[in-house]
Amino acid sequence: MIRRWLPFVAGAGIVIWVTALVMLALTAEGPQRFGELYLAILLINVAGVVALLILIGGRLADFVRDWRKHVPGSRLRGRTLLMFGGLAIAPLLMVFTFSVLFLTRGIDGWFHAEVRQGLTDALGLSRAALDLRMREYLDRTLGIADRLAADSGVGLYFALDEELRNSDAEELIIASAGGQTVAYSRAGIQHALPEAPPEDLLMQLRQGRPHVSLQPAPGGGYQVRAATQLRESGGSRAHLVLIATYPVPQRLSDLAATVQQAYQQYGQLSYLREPLKAAFVLTLSLVLLMALLAAVYGALYFSERLVRPVQDLIAGTRAVAKGDFDTRLLRPSHDEIGYLVTSFNDMTKKLARAREEAERSQATVEAERAALAVILARLTSGVISLEPDLRVRVANQAAGVILGVDFEGAAGRPLAEVAAGHPLLAELHEVLQRHLESGDTEWREQVTLRTDSSRRELVCACTALPGDAGAQGLVLVFDEVTQLLQAQRQAAWGEVARRLAHEIRNPLTPIQLSAERMRRKLMRGLGAPEAELLERSTHTIVQQVEAMKQMVAAFSEYAKAPEMHISELDLSALVRQVADLYHAQDPRVAFGLSLDPKASLLEADPGRIRQLLNNLLTNSLEALDGQQNPVIMIETQRTGDQVALAVIDNGPGFQGGLLEQAFDPYVTSKPKGTGLGLAIVRRIVEEHGGTVEVDNAPQGGARVRILLPATAREARRAEGRREKA
Amino acid sequence: MRGRRWLMTFAVLLGTATACAAVAQEAERFEVRNAYVELVNGEWLLDVRLDVALAEAARQAFAEGVPLVLRLEIEASVERRLLPADEVVSMGRRWQLAYDAISERYVVTDVKAGTHVSHATQQEAFEALGRIGGTVIADTATLPEGRRFDMRVRATVEIGELPAAVRMLLFWRSWSRTTEWYAWQVRP
Repeated sequence: MIRRWLPFVAGAGIVIWVTALVMLALTAEGPQRFGELYLAILLINVAGVVALLILIGGRLADFVRDWRKHVPGSRLRGRTLLMFGGLAIAPLLMVFTFSVLFLTRGIDGWFHAEVRQGLTDALGLSRAALDLRMREYLDRTLGIADRLAADSGVGLYFALDEELRNSDAEELIIASAGGQTVAYSRAGIQHALPEAPPEDLLMQLRQGRPHVSLQPAPGGGYQVRAATQLRESGGSRAHLVLIATYPVPQRLSDLAATVQQAYQQYGQLSYLREPLKAAFVLTLSLVLLMALLAAVYGALYFSERLVRPVQDLIAGTRAVAKGDFDTRLLRPSHDEIGYLVTSFNDMTKKLARAREEAERSQATVEAERAALAVILARLTSGVISLEPDLRVRVANQAAGVILGVDFEGAAGRPLAEVAAGHPLLAELHEVLQRHLESGDTEWREQVTLRTDSSRRELVCACTALPGDAGAQGLVLVFDEVTQLLQAQRQAAWGEVARRLAHEIRNPLTPIQLSAERMRRKLMRGLGAPEAELLERSTHTIVQQVEAMKQMVAAFSEYAKAPEMHISELDLSALVRQVADLYHAQDPRVAFGLSLDPKASLLEADPGRIRQLLNNLLTNSLEALDGQQNPVIMIETQRTGDQVALAVIDNGPGFQGGLLEQAFDPYVTSKPKGTGLGLAIVRRIVEEHGGTVEVDNAPQGGARVRILLPATAREARRAEGRREKA
Repeated sequence: MRGRRWLMTFAVLLGTATACAAVAQEAERFEVRNAYVELVNGEWLLDVRLDVALAEAARQAFAEGVPLVLRLEIEASVERRLLPADEVVSMGRRWQLAYDAISERYVVTDVKAGTHVSHATQQEAFEALGRIGGTVIADTATLPEGRRFDMRVRATVEIGELPAAVRMLLFWRSWSRTTEWYAWQVRP
């Protein structure tokens, strides 16, 4: 409401102020005019100054508050304010200086020495002209006094009237020396007694000197008063005086009055000269103050108007920077600022559209990424995505399982750093590095990763991710084929065993029978040396055939897969039973049992588990042959749904490359071993759905660790898979 | 010791200032010496005597041609029971003292009556200005003869016939003096 009326109020104020200025200009006509207008000028300017001070105070308070709060645009507004203020104030001060100069010079011009001298000369001239008249009237008065000297009594009064008629006097008075009127004659109607003569006149006459003076007339103008003593005639009229009053001619009186008036006015002006100058300067200063305040207010107002669109733009830009693309600014004008605001609005519209599209694209990408993450998580193949500088971008769960690395939190870290402490990944990193050094980014290779305790066969494929600016990284996909290869090898060896059993077992019996028959038929016809030779040779043949039969039987045992009979068994009891049996067989070997009661209950084929324990303990006993203080540790432990079984001896352990091929048939370090013991162990474990690992114990000796499902579910699945195979 | 010297210096300065102020007071004097009313032919006539000794500023302004103005404020009131006094007379008179450069005389003009009297010297003129007599303030209809009433008069002398605005603006140059109210009671 106030803002709506503000322009009208401001306009009215400007009109009044301009009027005051015009009035101020009119005061230069003189002090009288100044006096008439000054109060109005003063009030208008004081009111204007007060109003402007209030307005400026309000705007300055706003400005200072914005400045302290570092409101955008306040600095620019400050500079604009200084510029506007400087531009307005400098010319105003200049105009003020020159105005004061002109005013003071103008007022001084009223009091030129020539003017004063002219007035003084005019005054002197008037006096000189009147002095002539005064002397003339004095002579006439003296003549009247001489003529009246001869009269006395009533004749004196008649003579006085006669003299009045014959002269230019308007009044003739005969008074005593004390001033009391004795007789008088006056021209025209006589209303009242004449006034008593003034004391100075009587004093002069008492001194014997005639008196003449110029007097201001009651009705304006002047009159001449002349007086003299009447001469004595017989002593009766002693101390009488004649006072005559003559009018000054109208023309001369008017001129003298004009000179007197001018002289008086000039005196007043002279008296008011300095105060008037000060008053003008004060008034001008007030006007200047108002103009300055108006300039300051104008500077505040226009700087605010000029900066406001810029402030809006800054605020809008900040809002955009914070992500608020819905910001729209009102177009303040049709100038360049307006064009800028329109451009800003267009920009925010486009940005809003672009953001919507980006959000849609990002949502799509996020959905695809989530789907990819699910796919990657479900993949059994390991996938590692790398940045061009071999920082881990993403790795799926299978990669971590295969390589034994927890990739949680590995994103963004160098692959070499993540591989520290993880030998499998470190080895894979070396393979990758080797290919990259040779410039090979697209490769496929079967990689064998070895650790102290295990070996992993991986089929790796590496490919570069395409990008606009060259390769955007690498993707490494790998599958563990260790068990697959072992299974293939095992199947091949099983086939070999079956063939051996079939092809070798058949001729062994005829060979053995033939050798025995040959010994029996030929023994009697030979001499002692030849008989002994025959006996030794046939014995060797039979013995070797027997050994070959045992070997064929072992192969047959390995090759055949009898039906499993799953039942609940007490693993602890079985371990103690087998251990006691073997301890009895070789008492020098100490058996240490650490059996977890929770691991006692196991669903498995008791015969196969017994065979598994037999094979492991046989291997251990054979390895401990000749060993000082031989010890075999058997440990069981329940871990979740699995039962762990470990057999550890303090023998020499697995030597060299045997560790990697410990489960392969015919791999043995013993001279009489068939190399099928651990192969059969592995097959039994796998038939039960478990896993087996071999390594060397930290304190020395071989260690076989077996994990079996506590229930028969896995065993049945494994049997199903085998039957299908 | 030093404190006593300062005290003495202060006392001397204070004494000097007081003496100067006293001299200034003595040089300038403007007051109502006496006043009275008398009933003549059914009219109450006022007679006032003033001591007029103007300051140098006023004399200088007068010498430069600025007239002096004497204003006399006259009030008469009748007391009433249980009510404020009834102001039956409230009037003012003005006289102007100006120097006539042609006749070289000092002219005292009764502004209301339009009459004037000239004097040869400034002193005579001031003395004449201080003698105010025969001023009619009321008749018996307004102020009955047998009634008791209160009178008071006050005089103001100021420089020239300056416009009000100029007088306000030139407050540091304008000069005026006003006497205290001179009050007395008129009894039958």
